[in-house]
Amino acid sequence: MIWISIVDNSMGMLFNHRRQSRDRVLVQRILEITRGHALWMNAYTASLFEPLSPGIHVDERFYERAASGEFVLAETIPPGACEKEIEKVILYHWNRDYPADTYFDLDLTDWKITRTEEFPGFSHDKITEEVYCR
Amino acid sequence: MKKKIYALLASFMLAVSMLLTACGNADAIAGNIASQVREEVSQKKQQVEAADSVPDETGSVDLSQIPEFSGKPYVVINGNKPFFKTDELTAQSFESYGNLDNLGRCTAAKASVSQDTMPEEKRGRIGNIKPTGWHTIRYSFINGRYLYNRCHLIGYQLTGENANPKNLITGTRYLNVDGMLPFENMVADYVKETGNHVLYRVTPVFKGNELVARGVLMEAESVEDHGEGIMFNVYCYNNQPGVDIDYATGESQAAR
Repeated sequence: MIWISIVDNSMGMLFNHRRQSRDRVLVQRILEITRGHALWMNAYTASLFEPLSPGIHVDERFYERAASGEFVLAETIPPGACEKEIEKVILYHWNRDYPADTYFDLDLTDWKITRTEEFPGFSHDKITEEVYCR
Repeated sequence: MKKKIYALLASFMLAVSMLLTACGNADAIAGNIASQVREEVSQKKQQVEAADSVPDETGSVDLSQIPEFSGKPYVVINGNKPFFKTDELTAQSFESYGNLDNLGRCTAAKASVSQDTMPEEKRGRIGNIKPTGWHTIRYSFINGRYLYNRCHLIGYQLTGENANPKNLITGTRYLNVDGMLPFENMVADYVKETGNHVLYRVTPVFKGNELVARGVLMEAESVEDHGEGIMFNVYCYNNQPGVDIDYATGESQAAR
């Protein structure tokens, strides 16, 4: 599966069981890069994408349902426990500081960055997209 | 008591589930993020009147109940549930800044933050305001050099209240940038993206007649979605690593 997560400057993902931030431009970006492919997520994340496009699949165990080549958008689950199943990581950086108590826990040191791109968000000056492959 | 038992049981079950199959940790974490938020929101509605140590209107807390500073810029208070009463949550935008006390110190500032309250212009100068305990002091090891900022209780980006003496305290750079700003950012983004309101209160906490606050209590709860978007209750420390502060006067020296 291709894992998508969004992090702050400290690799934080959540605070008090809630997303640190959201951005409507990023939602559109994710829809663009996953177009034509299955995109798996849980109900909490699906609320950002309503009304749901046909390619979006909602399941609380989305990280187990996604097949090879399919995308998962994981706002609430750190990827560490699913490392073996992850073929590629797309990491979005808010480029901002937020409080955090849940962190992105996959060590990407030995992964290769194949693409980096920055774009302006709606409520964020700059969002950075990094694509990592094994 | 029942809640504590349920919490312990939940923790035990969580620990057991973490030993299971591939992505077992993910199962445990994933299990109930959304449902936990909904449960918290439901409990909050029922428990406000029964909450322990519900403070008065200002939201202040007993300093003796706050752990000593240990290197983290904030500590969670009351399980991250604000002390707001149900009838305080309003989708009517407002701002209020408590009167200075008899020592000239700030009291609580409160707002229902919305797109209406957020400024469009850049922040102006505030150098003419001298909050209690103010000193202009530099240390080479502090980013930006200055120990103290004129620290907004409610951040400018949320209500546009700038050179208001009732909204400014003598705060360390660490309090301002490492403590408060991340929470302000979270609230600002949520309001910009959703158009919803966030009830937001910041209360400086002073010890006795000291002129520099020991810290600030920050509480926030999103209104229209009953806390699903934003909910926190934290105490941010008015400390600066590497500096010993005399909170009675605002004087300081490099830590030994």
